[in-house]
Amino acid sequence: MQVIAIAYLVFLAAPVLLLLLGSFGETWSNTLLPAGFTGRWYEEVASDPSFRRAFFTSLQIVGVTCVLNMLIGFPLAYAIQAGARGGVRFAARLVTLMPVAVPELVLAFGFILVFSSDALPWLGSFWLLAAGHLVLTLPYTVTALVADMEQLRLDEYEHAAATLGASFAARLSDVTLPLLRTSLISSMLTVAALSIGEFQLSNLVAGFLSRTYPVVLLQAFYGATGFACAATVVLLILAALASITSSTTAQIGAFEQKKPQ
Amino acid sequence: MTLRYDAVSYTYPGTSIGVFDVSLEIGRGELLAIIGASGSGKSTLLKLLAGFVKPANGRILIDGKDVGELLPEKRKLGVVFQNYALFPHMRLWENVGYALKVRGIGKAERRALAVEMLARVGMGARADDLPGMLSGGQQQRVALARALVFEPRGLLLDEPLSALDAGLRVEMRDEILRVQRSAGIATLLVTHDQEEALSIGDKVAVMHEGRLVQIGTPRDLYETPVNAYVAAFVGQSNLWPGKVTGTGRIDTEIGALACDTKGKSNGEAVIAFVRPERVQPTSPSAVAEPGHFSGTIEADRYLGPIRRIDLAVPGGRIRLETHLRGPVTSVEIPPDAIRLLPVS
Repeated sequence: MQVIAIAYLVFLAAPVLLLLLGSFGETWSNTLLPAGFTGRWYEEVASDPSFRRAFFTSLQIVGVTCVLNMLIGFPLAYAIQAGARGGVRFAARLVTLMPVAVPELVLAFGFILVFSSDALPWLGSFWLLAAGHLVLTLPYTVTALVADMEQLRLDEYEHAAATLGASFAARLSDVTLPLLRTSLISSMLTVAALSIGEFQLSNLVAGFLSRTYPVVLLQAFYGATGFACAATVVLLILAALASITSSTTAQIGAFEQKKPQ
Repeated sequence: MTLRYDAVSYTYPGTSIGVFDVSLEIGRGELLAIIGASGSGKSTLLKLLAGFVKPANGRILIDGKDVGELLPEKRKLGVVFQNYALFPHMRLWENVGYALKVRGIGKAERRALAVEMLARVGMGARADDLPGMLSGGQQQRVALARALVFEPRGLLLDEPLSALDAGLRVEMRDEILRVQRSAGIATLLVTHDQEEALSIGDKVAVMHEGRLVQIGTPRDLYETPVNAYVAAFVGQSNLWPGKVTGTGRIDTEIGALACDTKGKSNGEAVIAFVRPERVQPTSPSAVAEPGHFSGTIEADRYLGPIRRIDLAVPGGRIRLETHLRGPVTSVEIPPDAIRLLPVS
């Protein structure tokens, strides 16, 4: 058992380790490991205008996707949790979860069909790309929030606050949002991690000037191996950072919720 | 300050359960306990009064004013929830003071009033703790303080003791009664625990399948239940189907009984109802007379002060409660212990 587990871990980690090694190697062709040591590939990635632009586009897309998820996902989850019963609840869930079931490629082709028409000529624009990322990440936000709302018994706290005389706005700011704080932060970081690494949809929908980092990254593999490795490591670090913060926040949140019991 | 249901009906969407044509009134300072099995509609009555659901028919009146369209936050009713629902992120004084905060009372005054209220339920020293640090009983006290601090027009208690251990439950029951009495507030208590209802309710209402079956003092309910359902639900009971065979005489599955048959006609089907403590063990001599039975003990439960015995007799079983320690083989059911209930 142990041997299999270790072998599997090595298999998982090997590409990442090789990427790291490759990003610091001077030359790497037709050998098992790269030769020499240099930091210049990172310098080159940092000074490459298309990579710089893509890097900042990616950050912008991530930011906008997070904000939109908060603005749309939170009210949607709240409405599903508070109001929807039976059939309506099921339908709302189905619609929000649909993008997970539909292959991204299909979604992207849909976008191309609809938004390359004369009536809606938005293909290649920044906002359409952000909208695409929103569609892809919203299911995660809504599912996580609805589950947390139910687990927290949010409706009970809201009923309690209402009987004490709190208006809807007061309940939202004094009870609902503080109780959901960690849940909201953790789902936003999950959204960030997903959005940073998204390739399929971005590759088809992004315009030349609104290409995200993973889309530009594909170009790197036509050039020097070290450069490609360094560019990939940058993305890896970004994505890992978002995932790790997300799971830590979620754990802290779970711990804080367990404590009062 | 009175709370009143006037012919109130409500059905949950897409189901046939709810409450139907319920009318009852809770006077100032009065504690009305509502009991019933799960799904009997007792919690629905509380939700209707609190404003979480709106009646389909009928009116809900607080101090004589119809509040049917009023949102929960406008009703000024204190509610204690089954799981207390104390806000986990607020300190105890903030929890208790929350109703004052939304009424625009400043922080210093709010804190002073909240701490004073906490002291009234014996939690004054814990004002700066978070709810998570409290035991169930302590959370219960804080929830009670929170529900009363804004001088509500009525107090609603939703199964307030069901999450506590048996010993603590009795203690908190007295505590609730003490606080309720000192506040002099109309109170609705929803519970499935009939002992709790009988011990602290000024009046008790029994709900069954969404309808109000009987309302009365605990004594009325125990001694003169209107039908076999109430008799069986409130306390222990013997219920034997039978038929009136003559003046002062009925025939049941366990044999003939002598009792008052006033208002019943000859041959009418009835249910004979006897509380187990009214069945008296006797010496086995007078067996031939009506109301005298001999049998063998089927179950003998030792409950401390009394024993609850099931005596198997030809045709059925007699449940009795006695403080006698010796063997029991014969019993007598005195005529005045028997009440005749209608067959439903």
